[in-house]
Amino acid sequence: MRNLLPVLLRCVLLLSLGPLALTAQADPKVLRVLFEAPDSGFDGALNVNWYSAKVTEMIFERLLTYDYMARPAKLVPGTAEAMPEVSDGGKVYVFHVRKGIYFTPDPAFKGKRRELTAADYIYSFERILDPQNHSPLINFLAGKIVGLDAQAAQAQKSGHFDYDAPVAGLKALDRYTLRIELTAPDYNFPYVMAMPSGMGAVAREAIEAYPRQTNMHPVGTGPYMLAQYVPSSRIMLAKNPDFRSLTWDFAAGDGPNDAQVVKDMQGKRLPQIDRIEISIVQEEQSRWLAFADKQMDMDFLPQLAAPKVMEGDHLKPEYAGEGIRLDRAVDPGITYTFFNMTDPVVGGYGKDKIALRRAIAMSYDIKQEIALIRNGQAVPAQMAIPPGVAGYDPQYRSSIPYDPDLANRLLDYFGYKRGADGWRTMPDGKPLVISIAREPAAIYTEMAELWQRGLDKIGIHAEFPVSNFQDHQEAALGCKLMMWNSAWNADYPDGENFLQQLYGPNARQGNMACYQSPAFDALYKQAMALPPGPERYALYAKMNRQMEADTVWLVETVRVRNWVTQPWVLGFKKHPILNAEWLYMDVKMRDVKTRDVAAH
Amino acid sequence: MTAYIVRRLWQMVPTMAGVILMVFILFNWVGGDPAYILAGKMSNAAQIANIRHQLGIDQPYYVQLWIFLKQIVTFDFGASWSTGESVAHILETRIGPSLMVMLPMTILETLIAIALALGVAFVRGSLTDRAVMVACTVGMSISILVYMIVFQYWFAFKWGWFPVQGWGDSFGENLFRYAPLPILIGLAVSVAPTLRLFRSFVLDEVGQDYVRTARAKGVSERRLVWVHVLRNAAIPIITYVMSNLPGLLIGVFLLENFFSVPGIGREVIQAVDRSDFPVVKAVTVYVAAATMIFNLLTDLLYQAVDPRVQLK
Repeated sequence: MRNLLPVLLRCVLLLSLGPLALTAQADPKVLRVLFEAPDSGFDGALNVNWYSAKVTEMIFERLLTYDYMARPAKLVPGTAEAMPEVSDGGKVYVFHVRKGIYFTPDPAFKGKRRELTAADYIYSFERILDPQNHSPLINFLAGKIVGLDAQAAQAQKSGHFDYDAPVAGLKALDRYTLRIELTAPDYNFPYVMAMPSGMGAVAREAIEAYPRQTNMHPVGTGPYMLAQYVPSSRIMLAKNPDFRSLTWDFAAGDGPNDAQVVKDMQGKRLPQIDRIEISIVQEEQSRWLAFADKQMDMDFLPQLAAPKVMEGDHLKPEYAGEGIRLDRAVDPGITYTFFNMTDPVVGGYGKDKIALRRAIAMSYDIKQEIALIRNGQAVPAQMAIPPGVAGYDPQYRSSIPYDPDLANRLLDYFGYKRGADGWRTMPDGKPLVISIAREPAAIYTEMAELWQRGLDKIGIHAEFPVSNFQDHQEAALGCKLMMWNSAWNADYPDGENFLQQLYGPNARQGNMACYQSPAFDALYKQAMALPPGPERYALYAKMNRQMEADTVWLVETVRVRNWVTQPWVLGFKKHPILNAEWLYMDVKMRDVKTRDVAAH
Repeated sequence: MTAYIVRRLWQMVPTMAGVILMVFILFNWVGGDPAYILAGKMSNAAQIANIRHQLGIDQPYYVQLWIFLKQIVTFDFGASWSTGESVAHILETRIGPSLMVMLPMTILETLIAIALALGVAFVRGSLTDRAVMVACTVGMSISILVYMIVFQYWFAFKWGWFPVQGWGDSFGENLFRYAPLPILIGLAVSVAPTLRLFRSFVLDEVGQDYVRTARAKGVSERRLVWVHVLRNAAIPIITYVMSNLPGLLIGVFLLENFFSVPGIGREVIQAVDRSDFPVVKAVTVYVAAATMIFNLLTDLLYQAVDPRVQLK
């Protein structure tokens, strides 16, 4: 019976598929990957969906990109011939676009080959400021480029962005030379130009040919092009036959698999993989079984599967013995809980309020969160900047430990007395009730229970109002949310990307704690005036200490992702900033006789 | 008959108006503001206001409601706010996979439940009847999540009878390769309660005088079951089946999600998560319309099945 049923089903299938099923998967190299959530389409300027970004990164190219192997992440030229020429103290950047890069063929080009030019980048950046596109990337360019904001303001009034009008800060000096003039020096601007999502070049004809449908018709110059798209189900990328010559040429770092990666890939022409087939599989068991069943070539282990598959930092022998490889990568991001500094209960800068926040923070057991909720797949965060991001100091230790006894003494000292019912009151005798917002997902329920246990130990009564992300975000941006657990992953590998969320002028946008500290803001401005280097990073550490002294955030964890690849997958090393590594990978040919394995 | 149908169609207008109003109020009350999702990680009040303006949700409520009504009349619900895909295309491409799972499931569920209900009802109280009822109780006590996890692990992963998950390109591949396991799980969950319900319908008829009279006249058991009893039990069965049919249009979210079936159920849940009002609006209105139409068809079927029923 065990063998009969599959045979019968296969017969039916073969009959239904006809000749297609009999065609052996011959030459094309196929990489089959999973997305755990659906994309939102492939116009990089319109969305910041992580899964969309993996695809747009393959289709659209930025002026700058990252060295695949270097850690910490290092910028290298993308479509630019070289790194930009920087002048005027970091205010002016000049890029030279490589000649001979072409967009993939599309009816919008009316049968002609369409070369990438400096003007395409000008148009692409202007699109991000166009109010009609309401691009989520707007903050990375708004206020930065001379004349661009005025153009956007005009468009807001008229309802039409004039792409033909010149912008003083965006000039094509010739067909291939782009000059960008900033409103103020910004040493992180090259990182913005390398952002995997949204900063790639689009062709104006291709955008205008598909009004309001650009999410479905991505046309870029990248190594892959969209071959098939079944929204919420399947995405297929095919190799761009017209892609320029690019050779895998990177040096090994100190990663455990680096030598093997270099050995497998060095000198190969890119891209090696002909087709990338992406399936959207949302359930953790389905994802893991699809991988274990060899239907998929790579994935990261769901947190639930990690204890079953791993022993400590390694794969269990039965999986390692099959040749499955593990790449354990620390996310360039943190999870944290913020306090609203304007809240009447926990907000304020007086010592009593700082003591209250500190006591609350000291009651939360981060190690328990990692062990119980994250199945060991995270490490405690010590500072607001995670490992792998410039400004991270491995010697830095948080001054806010888990210590309920000390928290109790602190509250006693500052007059937060326990009442007859065991709950503490405010020093003026009013009830002390804190509110930690959460979303409905199971992980937030577990975290709320952990918070509850800690707060019970220090006698603080807490409520955990449940609502959706949008409502919490709206309240947080209005400085109306008392506390909320949040997460931030690096857009670019510089600590400023994290610390800007604590900068006073960013209150009511990224600064959800609504933190206003003259000392912190002064340090931030000082740091921004310095080029990357030890002096700047020392200021980042001081800013962390200032934030801790005021106890604005409780930084909690840095998550770990365990990427697993099948034995035939070559060249994979998780990059901290790039969303997808497929361009730099290869697959050995598999013995695939039918569509059984290749099908989703 | 025509007058009856026209009158029933007219009666749908106020019902639909109620549905429209309820969807509109609920979305604006508890639906969450999509601008905060679309704005990305860093956003300020001006950007949020701009997004709201672009989506038209900064308009007065009566204007938004008017637009909603126009969309229903023109069958044009615009495009998804989160992906830009046209709502018409979403419905067109996602209902097919849902139906491919739901339709065979409903047909098989109904046939199996009717056959078993007739079988056990005539041996009421016997060991067979009690065994089937115990099996039904056990089956109903197990969550669909357990069925999905266990069946997927053993039938698909361990024994290789079915693919673990997925969806293909061709009709045959989907129907014979990918749909059977979700259908099987759906049947494991749905046959038991349906069978118990149908059994009670049949039992109601078995005790009637006309059955005793027919037996006394020497009518064979087979004719008694298939002609007399089934025909009279058909009205509640039809009511039950027809009332479930609109559900075909919204699929089974859990099954679609677990087995990566690109159906409408998964799409609706995503739309709710993303506060994607155009998709939610379209699906709600179409399901409401389908429910009313199926209710009308049910009434028409009553008359076809039982000539004693008069439609007035």
